[in-house]
Amino acid sequence: MNNHLTDDELILHSYGEIDRADRARVDAHLAECAQCQVAKENLARVMTMIDTAPPVEAPAGFERIAWARVQQALDSDGGLVRRSATRGGGIRSFFWFPQWALAGGVAALLVAAFWAGRISGGDPATPSPAAGIVADIEPERVLQATVGDHLDRSEMMLVELANAETDGADVLAGEQERAVDLVAANRLIRQSALQSGDAQIVDILEDLERVLLEIANAPATVTSNDLTDLQSRITREDLLFRLRVIASEMRQQQRTDRATDGPNLRRTPRS
Amino acid sequence: MDERDPSVVARARDGDRDAFRMLVETHSRYIYSLAHRMTGNAQDAEDVVQEAWLKAHKQLSRFEARADFRTWMHRITVNCSIDLIRARRHREDAHDPMDLEQGPLSERGAEAQPTPERVAASTQISDRVNEALSLLTALERAAFTLRHVEGMSIEEVGAKLGMKTSATKHSIFRAVKKMRAALEPYAQT
Repeated sequence: MNNHLTDDELILHSYGEIDRADRARVDAHLAECAQCQVAKENLARVMTMIDTAPPVEAPAGFERIAWARVQQALDSDGGLVRRSATRGGGIRSFFWFPQWALAGGVAALLVAAFWAGRISGGDPATPSPAAGIVADIEPERVLQATVGDHLDRSEMMLVELANAETDGADVLAGEQERAVDLVAANRLIRQSALQSGDAQIVDILEDLERVLLEIANAPATVTSNDLTDLQSRITREDLLFRLRVIASEMRQQQRTDRATDGPNLRRTPRS
Repeated sequence: MDERDPSVVARARDGDRDAFRMLVETHSRYIYSLAHRMTGNAQDAEDVVQEAWLKAHKQLSRFEARADFRTWMHRITVNCSIDLIRARRHREDAHDPMDLEQGPLSERGAEAQPTPERVAASTQISDRVNEALSLLTALERAAFTLRHVEGMSIEEVGAKLGMKTSATKHSIFRAVKKMRAALEPYAQT
């Protein structure tokens, strides 16, 4: 029988959402076509499997952890207490760690900002936006922006490589210089995260650094297999997804901070 | 104090911290499971649980005494999960690295790797389904969960997620196809 039902039609049919105009045709076809009946039954079996799977259970003692976090948030005037409250790590503790700004963090931050400016490809003679912010800065904010930029640039590179045609032998050629810069910035940020004890961030930055190093040190012309290996590594470690989550949380954090405190990053003219 | 006692909610509404604590401790496991199903990972689920309780705390005065508290929390949790997913949506739309050609499930990220606790605590079916769910993007997962588990129509799912109906359909199609590809070998047996 020709004109079998498409997967999309079978899915809509299983949810009872076939358009009225198509319903009679789909029902009639299903009544007569053994192949589509089998496909429908297979889909139904999968759906049943999903329906009968027990949900993911919360970890033991979660109710107490939940209350501890909620209570802390309520006590701190409704502010959201992020993962650091229960896991001793995570985005918030990284950026809310006061020692960060006090114990050498500022120096690392400015170096990182320098790298961020360099990586952006701007004219070295032209002060980058990051370099222009030299006074009245709040290190925490600059750090967030700098790390955010770094994650964005790293993600951009990984996305490009993950989607590159594997027969493009020179695909890494244009990326290697960028990768070298990103490795340098990554190391600074990772060191700082290490000092503040943020295992989650350190973990991601370590994975990122390994991939960046691989790109930076690869021969100028790679084989199709090499590129496939690299792509597989990017996807296998869920690196892109993890970077996105962190970057997204940072942006959220920045928005929250801005909403709470108002703008306090002031640009001052360079003398 | 019995947490099923409607007066617990009433007392929590009146500012009784112990009553609110009892509600949190009673319902958080259920809320976590729901949030995990929506978001697909433990960390986001924990954040959603917290956000849901903070929202509930603010809105307790609006809770109808005759309504079921768990149902009310269910709705708040779904909405908090959607808020989180929508906040990330624009980034995920830029690129979706998770497609069917990505390799065997065993090679996926840490979330898909069964820990000893998970193996001990869950059945094989549950593991397979959760592994398959971990293949979905956040948006696909949300669209699929709202359609398949919450029973919303595709149009309602689109409205919830701020997507056009056609885009919602495609998210659900992609989700179902990924789930089917991952689970069909096990569903046959």
